[in-house]
Amino acid sequence: MILRKPSVLIFLSALALVTIVTTLMAQAGLVSTSFVKLLGKTLCLAIAALAMDLVWGFTGILSLGHFAFFGIGGYAIGMWLMWDRTENIVMPSLTGGPLPPTPFQIEEAIGTQIFGVVGSSDVPWLWSLAGSLPLQLAAAVLVPGLIALIFGWLAFRSRVTGVYLSILTQAGTLALSLWLFQNDSGLRGNNGLSGLQNIPGLRDVAQSVVSLWFLWASAIALALAYLIAAWTVSGRFGSVLRGIRDDEARVRFLGYEVEHYKLAVFTGTAMVTGLAGALYYPQAGIVNPAEIAPIASIYLAVWVAIGGRGRLYGAVIGAAVVSLASSWFTGGGAPAINLGFYVIKWTDWWLVLLGLSFVLVTLFAPKGLGGLVDLWTGRRARGIGPLGPDQGSLRGKEEVA
Amino acid sequence: MSALLEVSGVSKSFDGFKAIDNLSFSIGEVELRAVIGPNGAGKTTFMDLVTGKTRPDSGTIRYGSLSRSLTGMSEAWIAQAGIGRKFQKPTVFEDQTVVENLVMALKSPRNPFSVLIRRPPQRDRAATLAEQIGLDDALDRRAGELSHGQKQWLEIGMLLAQEPRVLLIDEPAAGMTTAEREKTTQMLVDAARTRAVVVIEHDMDFVRRLNCRVTVLHEGRVLAEGSLDHVCADPRVIDVYLGRDDDV
Repeated sequence: MILRKPSVLIFLSALALVTIVTTLMAQAGLVSTSFVKLLGKTLCLAIAALAMDLVWGFTGILSLGHFAFFGIGGYAIGMWLMWDRTENIVMPSLTGGPLPPTPFQIEEAIGTQIFGVVGSSDVPWLWSLAGSLPLQLAAAVLVPGLIALIFGWLAFRSRVTGVYLSILTQAGTLALSLWLFQNDSGLRGNNGLSGLQNIPGLRDVAQSVVSLWFLWASAIALALAYLIAAWTVSGRFGSVLRGIRDDEARVRFLGYEVEHYKLAVFTGTAMVTGLAGALYYPQAGIVNPAEIAPIASIYLAVWVAIGGRGRLYGAVIGAAVVSLASSWFTGGGAPAINLGFYVIKWTDWWLVLLGLSFVLVTLFAPKGLGGLVDLWTGRRARGIGPLGPDQGSLRGKEEVA
Repeated sequence: MSALLEVSGVSKSFDGFKAIDNLSFSIGEVELRAVIGPNGAGKTTFMDLVTGKTRPDSGTIRYGSLSRSLTGMSEAWIAQAGIGRKFQKPTVFEDQTVVENLVMALKSPRNPFSVLIRRPPQRDRAATLAEQIGLDDALDRRAGELSHGQKQWLEIGMLLAQEPRVLLIDEPAAGMTTAEREKTTQMLVDAARTRAVVVIEHDMDFVRRLNCRVTVLHEGRVLAEGSLDHVCADPRVIDVYLGRDDDV
């Protein structure tokens, strides 16, 4: 049913095309492994943007903390990656002795390797499940879900809305990243988790191949996320979400418990975002507390705003365009502009450019890049279109009364 | 006839101002009632209290055959229990189509899980309703494109879709043409054949056309109750309301 929607079909076809073409080009040696990784990472960011669009664009909750869920997903998968890889490293030296190593010895050896950088060899309780991939994957989804559920329940039932809710989410995110920055948080402080690109069990497989596998996994995850999102915002559920965004009180008087809907969307998107993070960080190779800082979540909102709120492909376009442009500008791809008296280096000025585009989009193109599609399909603008015939209206008189 | 909705001894003040002062009001299972009163008489606060938007300082509001207390229940719960409310300004979801608006209002499970998972086709039910409110040729138009009167009807349609037992309607005729008013009157009279309908209205001509029992509110209290002619003859009503309102 969802597949019959043109926008869904076009999106899935475009995604498949990009993935296949990139794969072929990578195998022909036309694009680098780092480019494949960049693309795979971008697709994961697009999943996070989709989630943000559901929360903000459709339901009207401006969460400035959703990227924290992405980071938590990364930490969860990163713990397993580091643990398993370190175990593989320390085992040969331990098995050399006359007696097989005890579990305690193994744990101590792994702990020294992983936590030596923060001056410790004890394995924190947080890592007690780190040896299991299924459990850490479950944590990548369930920990964000649980945090969102508790936070959302507290915030929504007190009817905290608008800018106050945004500030609250941002404060929560800041607290989380400050905690992670501490060396005794048990997650290696500001070092974060690193070496995540080395997947245990795949040591003999070249990164150029692993990167393609991750590209495909990310593409499939994005396709699924897009389908689920499109299904969620269609039908009555989608109507209720948009209703909450536009007039929350009216939805209540229709008999819908607004708080339950907000909680469902907030929690569900947090879980999807966590999973996207779990796919992203093995490609990025490192996750550290800076990734969770509030600025990252603000970026997420900027992507969705630039791409176009309230339309799913807009979120994907925004995430892809802005994050690819960001890599290009900050990666030295964009040529510096020499003004004679001053040289504009994009590594310094990219943020200014991004900020300016955000301001310009907000002021002059509130529908974002996705709004360009309306010009092509001729779709009437939602919410800001002409009001049509007004026979029988005595609005002027009513306003007097 | 037993009372379906019974408000007794309810008071509510805002920062010391008594918006509702020891108000008692009841309405039967099948009844059309008009509530009139000058600005500030507490008409809208009365609706807020019944629909759970505000909580009374004292007094009880009971509803249904089991006389359940409505004070302390959420707006959504009260709406699900069968009390529908129409606001003074037409509040439809302008960004969504007429069908979407109606389907959202149709009586059906309201919890997020079943709304997400179970998706019975409801377009036909919505179309039938649209016919009743004269919007059957505008099913897929965005509500924001409708005229003022059409929006009011759409909102009444959404109320009917909820299949409520009590309808609270705030100034339905505001800003309507004479023809639209007549149609609205008919809709309300029809609706009141099977349920309780409370119409809050400013406009005396409209109330006269409804031809029903009238409750006059003044300073948060019931000043008089009875037929329109009866209350219009009441000297206190003339003094506080009729004597100084241009609408009459």
